[in-house]
Amino acid sequence: MTAILEAHQISKTYGNKFNKQEVLRGIDLRVDKGEFVGIMGPSGSGKTTLLNVLSSIDKVSLGTIKIEGKTFTGMKEKELAEFRKRHLGFIFQDYNLLDTLTVKENVLLPLSIKKVSKREADAKFQQIATELGIYELRDKYPNEISGGQKQRTSAARAFIHDPSIIFADEPTGALDSKSASDLLNKLSELNQKIEATIVMVTHDPVAASYCSRVVFIKDGQIYTQLNKGDESRQSFFNGIMQTQGVLGGVQA
Amino acid sequence: MNLSFLIWRNLKKNLKNYYLYVFALIFSVALYFSFVTLQFDPAMDPYEGSVKGGAAIRAASVLLVAIVSVFLLYANTMFIKRRSKEIGLFQLIGLTKGKIFRILSSENLMLYFGSMLLGIGCGFVFSRLILMILFKIVGVEQQAELRFSAEALVQTVLVFSAIYVLIMIMNFTFIKRQSILSLFRVVSTTENKVSRMSLGQVLIGLLGLGLIGAGYFVSTKLFGGDFLTMTSLYMAMLFILGSVIVGTYLFYKGSVSFVFNLIRKSKGGYLSLKEVLSLSSIMFRMKSNALLLTIITTVSALAIGLLSLSYISYYSAESSARQSVPNHYSLVAPEDIAAFEGALDDAGIGYAETRRKVIHMEADVSQIIGATIGGEQKDTMVLSVVSDETVPGVDVAPGEARFTGFDDALMQFLSLKDRGKLVFRGVKENTPMDLTGINKETVVSWYYAINMPTAIVDQSLFEKLEAEANPELQREHNTYVGIDIADRSQLKEAEAIYVRLGFEQKAGSYSQQTLITNQKVNMGMAMFIVGFLGLTFLITSGCILYFKQMDESEEERPSYTILRKLGFSGSNLLGGIQIKQLFNFGIPLAVGLSHSYFAVKSGWFFFGTELWTPMVLVMLLYTALYSVFGLLSVLYSKRVIKESL
Repeated sequence: MTAILEAHQISKTYGNKFNKQEVLRGIDLRVDKGEFVGIMGPSGSGKTTLLNVLSSIDKVSLGTIKIEGKTFTGMKEKELAEFRKRHLGFIFQDYNLLDTLTVKENVLLPLSIKKVSKREADAKFQQIATELGIYELRDKYPNEISGGQKQRTSAARAFIHDPSIIFADEPTGALDSKSASDLLNKLSELNQKIEATIVMVTHDPVAASYCSRVVFIKDGQIYTQLNKGDESRQSFFNGIMQTQGVLGGVQA
Repeated sequence: MNLSFLIWRNLKKNLKNYYLYVFALIFSVALYFSFVTLQFDPAMDPYEGSVKGGAAIRAASVLLVAIVSVFLLYANTMFIKRRSKEIGLFQLIGLTKGKIFRILSSENLMLYFGSMLLGIGCGFVFSRLILMILFKIVGVEQQAELRFSAEALVQTVLVFSAIYVLIMIMNFTFIKRQSILSLFRVVSTTENKVSRMSLGQVLIGLLGLGLIGAGYFVSTKLFGGDFLTMTSLYMAMLFILGSVIVGTYLFYKGSVSFVFNLIRKSKGGYLSLKEVLSLSSIMFRMKSNALLLTIITTVSALAIGLLSLSYISYYSAESSARQSVPNHYSLVAPEDIAAFEGALDDAGIGYAETRRKVIHMEADVSQIIGATIGGEQKDTMVLSVVSDETVPGVDVAPGEARFTGFDDALMQFLSLKDRGKLVFRGVKENTPMDLTGINKETVVSWYYAINMPTAIVDQSLFEKLEAEANPELQREHNTYVGIDIADRSQLKEAEAIYVRLGFEQKAGSYSQQTLITNQKVNMGMAMFIVGFLGLTFLITSGCILYFKQMDESEEERPSYTILRKLGFSGSNLLGGIQIKQLFNFGIPLAVGLSHSYFAVKSGWFFFGTELWTPMVLVMLLYTALYSVFGLLSVLYSKRVIKESL
């Protein structure tokens, strides 16, 4: 297995010398190609910060992160932007679609900076959009489609330029359960079919049960990991619930 | 934290955001104050003053107040909408509406009257500069004195206090009408964001372009001889005005979106970042701002047009004077000529005299005339005729004639062909001849030419015509006498003699210098007033567009965040923003310029002899000043983009 993402001893602190808030305290994480990794943890455990740091939107205080062997911690803002454009895909909780663009225009946005021909872009769009069931909606504006459709559009945008890794921040957070399971099914399908690597932050155990591995963090450190292996989704879900039960709550 | 602290904090924050508003306020107060000071200046006195423009300046200051108060009220609605969240929050924590109104009022009071005092200070300092500019333009040589006028101060304070009260009333009704909930929502209801292109919109778009085109087309025909009676001319002007204004509105309402949509369609969904930031956002915004943009465009077109026309007139003062009289001075009565020349001799001023015998002949011009005048075909007109021997540098072959002294307005109306046959009708016989050319140079004064071209013919022919000339058509004196002062530096002395001898009042006597001075005083005054009003309008409308852009940048901040997360760098985004602002500021400017171009083009020849240089200068100046606001809004967007991740 080749490692897509390797994070080594990353820490993140906010504040100054006198009033320091440690959000991440030395996390080591490795994600292999084709993995679908879930990150879980209670509120304030640092999962979103971890995702932001891994996806280069936020900077680490200490430690290094490599994606496909390239260390990007310490890069300049401009290089980082370039890096994100080429290697990373994003799915956000609140979709982050541009209201003034149609579905198709939104999805094709990441391709516009690569010198891809229009024909190729069209073919690519058709493939991904059909896969995610939004091909029929291509000329609609975001305010004309449902939340689930928006999130699938957002997912299509994340996949369209074949990124090395896709980061999803609570992608089901704003969806009803039917749309959520639809989306997760599509994501895991794409994960298996085209060997896309996905890292997803969630607090929903059902969503996490679609992953192949779940990492639990607490107070800025990795608490434990669960591998799905050959288990059924139901028993994996039970395992997640159990771990979450131990993890959650305030210490007496 | 008590209330006054809150007010103080708000003020500090607002000052940073609204520096341009404060600047515009200071500027308009300063301008108004100096205008009013000017109005009370002794130089403006209608009887004793040297400029006599008091009434015009008073009218201008009323217009100035109108522009400024509309601007201030409009800016205020934008600001209060922006702050609706804050107001809602105050209500939520239990402040009464009355108290919130008091907070806002005292905040505004400080901001407003602070700027007003500053403005009056600036106005006082600049009033001398403005007076100097006026003197310079008008050509009066007088020392501009710095004087403080108490009347001006009182008037300025009164007027701007009245505007302040208006603003407060507006704020009061705004706060009164709103509930906590609607205050929170107001931002999202002001602009309707996305809607589809419908067929109706396409039609509106096409109609807009069509109406503007039709207006332009008619404007080029306006004085070309197609509209003959006064009523039809009047109707045509109304039509142009109406169709261009309505067309402009529809243009913003539909055409811009329509054109951009076509471009977008052709991309098949594959948009580059620059197109995302420029095309798609402008498409939806222009529509909701259509009315505002139409007003801005129309008034800028008006300002540019009037400024161009008055500058054309001012700029061509000298050539217009030369058009009326070819030499420095021209007098008709022999005793006047003798008196003037005698006085020049006494003063030791060298001069040269030009004498041309002028006869007046009826001529049949049916072969060469292109237009009809006053509804009926005019075949004959009375022309002045001179011999080629009296005009240096011109030699006309026997049997030929050349027209000269043809100004642009005449050219438009008569549309004479420059070659063809014409027949002079004598008492007994007719003399046919060939017209071989037309030029603008005048050879006799207006007294002889009577607003018609002068024909130059060969000496032999001239003698023949002279014998044939109808005595009823001849003028009292049949020799044009022009006097040129040899040394230009002595022109001033000569002018003094001319005025002293009272020739100014005599019919038929001309002085280029007097004509130039008169035109410069009249048109200079007009130009000065239109110029300053235009400047005020430019600055206020620029500010309004800038505020709109500021709001848009704020609203688009989430989009910038998304794009930056996706990996577009700040400079990538800025590239798109620059294009967007180019359109946002460029489209109203371009439309305004094009409107004023056609307006000026249709009637400039009534104002002067030179079209291009003055018009282009005015347009360049306007564009340059206008671009400053575009630049400022790009800088603002840059800040927003920087903060967006």
